[in-house]
Amino acid sequence: MSSDITLYHWEPNANSGKPMLTLVEKGVPFNSHYIDLLAFDQHKPDYLAINPMGTIPAMTHGGRLLNESTAMMEYVEEAFAGPSMMPDDPVDRWRVRWWMKFLDQWLCPSFSMIGWSIFIGPQVRERDPEELKAAIDRIPLPERRIAWRKAIYGLFSEEELAESRRRVDLGIGMLEEALGRYEYLGSNQYSLADINCFNSAYGLPSSQPEDVNDEKTPNIMRWLRSVARRPAVKQTWTYSRVPRFADRILPLIEESV
Amino acid sequence: MPMTLYHGEPTGPSLTVLAALFESGLDADLVPLDLALAQRHGGTVPLGFEANYSVEGEGPVLVVDGEATADSVFIGCLLDDLAPGSGLRPGDPYMRWEMMAWCRWIIERLAPGAAALANIAWTTPRLAALDDAGFEALIAPIAADDLRARWAQTRAGTLSDDHRAASEARVHEATKKVEDRLADRDWIMGDFSLADLESYAWIAPMRDLLPDVFAQKPRLAAWLARVEARPSVQRAFAQARTAQPAHGFAPGPEINRWG
Repeated sequence: MSSDITLYHWEPNANSGKPMLTLVEKGVPFNSHYIDLLAFDQHKPDYLAINPMGTIPAMTHGGRLLNESTAMMEYVEEAFAGPSMMPDDPVDRWRVRWWMKFLDQWLCPSFSMIGWSIFIGPQVRERDPEELKAAIDRIPLPERRIAWRKAIYGLFSEEELAESRRRVDLGIGMLEEALGRYEYLGSNQYSLADINCFNSAYGLPSSQPEDVNDEKTPNIMRWLRSVARRPAVKQTWTYSRVPRFADRILPLIEESV
Repeated sequence: MPMTLYHGEPTGPSLTVLAALFESGLDADLVPLDLALAQRHGGTVPLGFEANYSVEGEGPVLVVDGEATADSVFIGCLLDDLAPGSGLRPGDPYMRWEMMAWCRWIIERLAPGAAALANIAWTTPRLAALDDAGFEALIAPIAADDLRARWAQTRAGTLSDDHRAASEARVHEATKKVEDRLADRDWIMGDFSLADLESYAWIAPMRDLLPDVFAQKPRLAAWLARVEARPSVQRAFAQARTAQPAHGFAPGPEINRWG
């Protein structure tokens, strides 16, 4: 595909999935460049030359670099034609932005901490210790260096993990209530907040089936199926290479077709 | 559209929203609160879910058509959406991206550190002067458990050496970011924007706590004066009800749990 947009991404979920799904929903063609997070591709010199922060995702549009996944989504929304991914009403727009902030800073870090402690940490821990140490030393942002060190060496404290579990449990209740108030997250229109949230929440029915199911959380289930059935979601999952992630979303997509 | 702004002293997020409101030219009833005495939770302010769980902590609340909106950067975007052409955000999508990425750094990295230092210096003594029963009564209505816990930590004056050092490092980094950014411009985005208000609101109060950080940064000093000279900021300052309005903090955003 020839385009002046290149998206550097890992799996089509969480932060990488945010700008990717927005691009696909808007019908904007882009070149896909898969960065293997588990191989530390994001801290290698080739990638740091493109995105000096060493974070995934990043996007280039012409000669310009963009990072920070939520701000990238708003850029894609504003810079390109295609269906609008933001409501028209100013207060609805505020609520969509509020939810994205709440997800980015309060709820999703808790999802991530749990996911990193049970999956990413153990996956990469098997590597050569010297290689791991060198990989951590190459991380440009101090806060990411701390996060990786904790994940790799299993240093999350029981208090930290308990607080993350508390937030996820509370967050499930908050989402259920919010999706009872509006058809979508923060408004009655499918928006960037839904893209943001879906990319982190799609795995809940399989990871916490006792908490997220048709009886306990009918609104979350309705909303998950409604987003999962969108052709754009299905298209983004063609970029997946880690079966563990695809295994969690494909049943939801198939069920919704 | 009827609007009411419940705000604290003109510092931190209350300063951002007051000045942004005045920049927008929109009308709102102004209701001052003593945020450090948890007046936001006393029943006067019609808080909703979003205001209760605002990641900003004890910031201002703008009620628009009965809905309580919170988080200063996003209230700023709302005011810009309500008053297009206010200049609070640049028009170009790439510059908007840059402004939002800048503001994200300020609210996620600088604000938790600045709030921790400001609260330990200025809020802790006020809360420590309250008796236990009085304090518990103030914080009992706070909906979010983690915010209520930050209030208790603020009253106890809990701030580890690591936490203090990390917070001071953020202030160093922020002042350097502004100094570097202004090498070829007067305002952070070229033209004045919300980024100047949000950055000023968290950086300026640090002059009283970490004066050395501000030394030998002439562009930063000129920018601070430039922001202060704006009529919107002057009008925000005029809302002050205490002798040291810059010190009027209350428990703010938490330190990022990932480091």
